[in-house]
Amino acid sequence: MTRRKTSGGRLFCADRSGTETANEKDEVFRVCLFANKQSRKTAETGCMYTGREEESEMQAIRVENLSKTFRVKRKEKGMRGSVKAIFHPQTEEIHAVNGVSFSVEEGEMLAFIGPNGAGKSTTIKMLTGILYPDGGRVEVLGVDPTKKRRQLAYQIGTVFGQKEQLWTHLTPYDNFRFFGAIYDLTERETEARIGELSERFALKEFIDTPVRNLSLGQRIRCEMVAALIHKPKVLFLDEPTIGLDPVVKENVRELIRQMNREERTTIFLTSHDVGDIEKLCRRIIIVNDGQIVLDDSVEHLKSHYPNEHAADIGTHEREQEAAGSGDSSDVSLEDIIVEIYRSQGEN
Amino acid sequence: MNRLAKQDGIVRCMPWRKYTVIYRSVLLENLQYAANIAVGFFSYAVFIYTFIMLWGYMYQTPGELIAGYTKEQMIWYVMMTEMIWFGSSAASVAREVSTDIRGGNIAYLMNKPYHYTLYVLAKYTGGWSIRLPMYAMLAVVIGTALVGPLPRFPLAAVPAMALCVVLGLTINAVLKMCISLFSFWIEDATPFQWLYDKLLLIVGTMFPVEIFPETLQPLFKLTPIYTVCYGPAKLIVDFSPEKCVEILAVQAVYLLAGCGLMFLIYGRGVKKLYVNGG
Repeated sequence: MTRRKTSGGRLFCADRSGTETANEKDEVFRVCLFANKQSRKTAETGCMYTGREEESEMQAIRVENLSKTFRVKRKEKGMRGSVKAIFHPQTEEIHAVNGVSFSVEEGEMLAFIGPNGAGKSTTIKMLTGILYPDGGRVEVLGVDPTKKRRQLAYQIGTVFGQKEQLWTHLTPYDNFRFFGAIYDLTERETEARIGELSERFALKEFIDTPVRNLSLGQRIRCEMVAALIHKPKVLFLDEPTIGLDPVVKENVRELIRQMNREERTTIFLTSHDVGDIEKLCRRIIIVNDGQIVLDDSVEHLKSHYPNEHAADIGTHEREQEAAGSGDSSDVSLEDIIVEIYRSQGEN
Repeated sequence: MNRLAKQDGIVRCMPWRKYTVIYRSVLLENLQYAANIAVGFFSYAVFIYTFIMLWGYMYQTPGELIAGYTKEQMIWYVMMTEMIWFGSSAASVAREVSTDIRGGNIAYLMNKPYHYTLYVLAKYTGGWSIRLPMYAMLAVVIGTALVGPLPRFPLAAVPAMALCVVLGLTINAVLKMCISLFSFWIEDATPFQWLYDKLLLIVGTMFPVEIFPETLQPLFKLTPIYTVCYGPAKLIVDFSPEKCVEILAVQAVYLLAGCGLMFLIYGRGVKKLYVNGG
């Protein structure tokens, strides 16, 4: 597999559907910065690609043209509408995910973000085999989640900040033993892993307290240990720090970093907290209306986007500051993301 | 050691081990609520007392038979079927599956390396393992005190009776789960659950099948009534080895067919899963 490499590690591709073979296209990452839908169309034929230099690295996640459409019931308002819906049910098709393609390297920490209803969770659910795609192809660790969901489950972990996976009436210790058995670990393996993780996540104080009596921060740490008990190669984190205070948030982030560093766990993170993205991920994918509107490195986004869209970003005061100083370096990632969301909304 | 083989670097253990652990976890959880279960005793006692009064009025002379049952057998029959009904709380299975599918919670359960339906069954079994023995003890106390012990009750056959009851409970849960799994296609499977429950309650639970017209009896015996409540309760009040073998055989057929149907519906339905938000 060949990759054209520039000094900056970025590739520019004149025509996506041109002479490259399908495999070559698979190997390159799209880094299309779309300011609006018009430029998105342009990007289909002349977008900027970037390649990763590590040719030997394996791809943990590979997604091609992924699509999912939901049929949602529609009802006119009032009693009349309710009666009418019985005899003439009306449905509407919602394209939750629409032709999404990307890949994630092993050991990479990726932020997959977007406004509410953008298609993030639907994508995660297809990646974990919960939802069946209507079109396209998914591979996680070389496994098709739709065909071998349970086989894949042994190799991935999930943490949903808004959803408890632990059994609340049991203690964290009993929960971990439970999850160890679920993932077919022997008792000795489970005990060893509990010991290792409880030390790393500092659980010793409350490991024998029923989960229902734990604080949110303690619970999230336990959720993460439960998700890691079987040493997953890919960890899907959906809002892992939601509702946590800044200190606990920072602790959780450090633990995620540590885990990524020491166990080379691939992290697929969705979060509305820009701090999570900024402090954990090097790469960011923004989705909106079921499509990828941006796939870039966090660093590149922060350094280039403000210059290209200085007038659009941030509050009126920030615009004035930027105009006055001509320096866009103080534009926060949050402002950039908000602007991208807004520009997508307008379009 | 439960291990089977090592595949893809992952040690696979005997598949039932994880379901045993789920069962044990629910058992641990429910043990904390044993006192709450005892609150339900009041409803059971009122129900049984009403039936004792009712059948006491119906049986006017000692030794009289109604549909082949003595008064003691009839009341013990009702006590046993009600014990199964109260002690199993099979409605929880239906409720859990329907809620999981409609509310989207199933998404968080499906991404674990177990089969969702067996997970629910293991949880359900863990639930009744505490509740049913408690109701059984209550039934024995009430029955012995107010009706008297069953004449010629074969103590040696208790394990066979228990097996029939357990299989009946499992079949009931599997069938109720099959109905709930239709929530993948229809918005609410509750009306179908209601019909099924009422059929079991009226035909098999409150009254034995023999009470109904003879022409309907063979039909009823083909339905789950025979395997879920009528069969096990009949065996307790009027045990015979032949009847036991017959009931166990029919239960085995029902269980295999029911599980096959359950896996089929789940396999098809899960592709229709609609989970939004998050």
